[in-house]
Amino acid sequence: MKPCFSWMVVASLLAAPGVRAFAHAQIGSVIDNIALTALDGTPQPLLSNATANVFVFFKPGQENSRATMIHLEACAREMAAKSVRWVAIVSDRFPKADVQTAVQETGLTMPVLIDAGDALYGKLGVVLSPVLGIVDQDHKLVAYEYFTKVNFTEVVRARIRYLLKEIDAQELARVLNPSAAIPGAEAEKARRRFKLAEKLFQAKSYEKALENVNESITKDGTVAVVHALKGQIHVALGNREAARGAFTEALKLDPANASALEGMKSVEK
Amino acid sequence: MSHVNHHKKSAPLNLAGARRSARCGLAWLILFSLMLGAGLSLAYAAEAKKSPAALIPKVRKNNLAPLAAGEKVVASHGPFEDGDCGICHKNKEAQNPGPLTAPANEQCLSCHEEFTQIMARKSSHGAARESCVSCHNPHNAKLPKLLVDEVGALCLSCHEEIKNLVTQAQVTHGAMDTEAKCLNCHNPHAANVEHLLTRLPFDLCINCHGQDGVKDHADKSLTNFKTLLAENPQHHGPVSSKDCSACHNPHGSEHFRLLGFDYPAQFYSPYDSKFYALCFECHEETILSTPETTSLTQFRDGNRNLHYLHVNKADRGRTCRACHEVHASKQPHQIRDAVPYGAKGWMLKINFTPTPTGGTCAKTCHAAKSYTNTAVANPGPNK
Repeated sequence: MKPCFSWMVVASLLAAPGVRAFAHAQIGSVIDNIALTALDGTPQPLLSNATANVFVFFKPGQENSRATMIHLEACAREMAAKSVRWVAIVSDRFPKADVQTAVQETGLTMPVLIDAGDALYGKLGVVLSPVLGIVDQDHKLVAYEYFTKVNFTEVVRARIRYLLKEIDAQELARVLNPSAAIPGAEAEKARRRFKLAEKLFQAKSYEKALENVNESITKDGTVAVVHALKGQIHVALGNREAARGAFTEALKLDPANASALEGMKSVEK
Repeated sequence: MSHVNHHKKSAPLNLAGARRSARCGLAWLILFSLMLGAGLSLAYAAEAKKSPAALIPKVRKNNLAPLAAGEKVVASHGPFEDGDCGICHKNKEAQNPGPLTAPANEQCLSCHEEFTQIMARKSSHGAARESCVSCHNPHNAKLPKLLVDEVGALCLSCHEEIKNLVTQAQVTHGAMDTEAKCLNCHNPHAANVEHLLTRLPFDLCINCHGQDGVKDHADKSLTNFKTLLAENPQHHGPVSSKDCSACHNPHGSEHFRLLGFDYPAQFYSPYDSKFYALCFECHEETILSTPETTSLTQFRDGNRNLHYLHVNKADRGRTCRACHEVHASKQPHQIRDAVPYGAKGWMLKINFTPTPTGGTCAKTCHAAKSYTNTAVANPGPNK
């Protein structure tokens, strides 16, 4: 049941963009490869034969667009060697000078295509900007991402990598729904004490090593190597019975623990 | 949210550590000078970039010597406490510990090895990557976690942009100065969400704003968003995306309710596009500035743009909230059921009923009125 449930969660996460109230461009629909005019006056197709086609609608003079374009440009450069084509799209409502200023400010190098009369805005039902679409080699829309202030580029990068088959669905789901990063678990502290005990043991400071290894076990007594180290420390201190007890604990937790097996042999000689 | 209480009782005074600190004071002075000279000379080298982030120093200069005798020790590092200088330094003797046997972070990670994994998360703190001693004293400290300064002051000593925002903000956020302060939302080492957020913004905010009884600075009760969202299934885009920060600045703001940009605070407002800067950070301004359209909105009667009609007025323009809930609603497009009317907060029903080609609002701000757009017969581009 568990794997099945986790895949259902993954599937629902991946499907999420398609169910947004204002997502007029339907995921899975084929996008017409219309010709647009670039900012420099040259004709440019909206899409290419690249594995991933990314288009992003932006507005000059809008902070969200500015920040997005800076991050996406960095992302495009990072993916320059991959089969990804990026284009930025801007409405011809905006004066060319404003668009040029925005391009300059954001360091945009991807083609900037002019949407005359908001034809493409209308065709795709774009009501919010910035907004980004990802289209596959068959020109099917695979993702339609609304701007978010946090993790937007991270999500875009992951969606592209998923399309390029560089990551699997579970990895994509991990990016879409990142795990919490709350510090301070007891197991972490136990591990730290163990590492300190290891160092003290190497420095032949056995009594202090024993204190730390005991503290580690108090915080988390489920780790075989920690008990094995405790056994080694007792051996060094000449406490054969205590060492045997520690090695026994280690072997209960991990019967194949090499250090405990070796230690047990030495105390049984 | 993990609220760490940094007002908890201090550990007992550490006399052994204090005595040792006096013994090795001179040695530390020398070592500290060497460290400063070699490692920290680049501390405040600002990069010539426009981004404010580039102006944040890579590391923080700190006095890393043990606390002077008599100073109150709250946290003491295990090896220092035990006098095991040789764990990190060339020599075992406290009087003459000598140089470190490996670079500082390498030393730290050799015991605190879990941080190798932690620092590999998507978003890591530059200061932590550069040097653990940016924030921690490796010997002892007056603060928990061996911190060289209090959380908040420590963070803002480098993050000046946030400091300015916090100190100059007309509207402040309780989370900034209560409990764990910055650490209410950020992991100071690394996280899986940008800006070192321990979770996505909504998942953080809901920890406090998902309960009854939370009040603002004026003692006004704040919405319990868990309840609101559960009862109202139509969520505004940023809410669905867990992106409260799309509209709110959690550090502080000059706008009411910590909004990131201008938005009229009242029910009525004269129309000026700059008053709606917040909405226009995502929505198209043309929806409110174009009197006639067949494409910008479905809320139109024929070509007559009813958004324009309601909002774009020189005096008593209705603000978005007159008809829309900003977070969640029962009806699509965040159309609200009712609006507060009068000083006593009576809820005036809007009675909006959608039809296949438009809708009706009945007995509310005005007598029942219906509208019919032509979208079904002649679909427009922007709905």
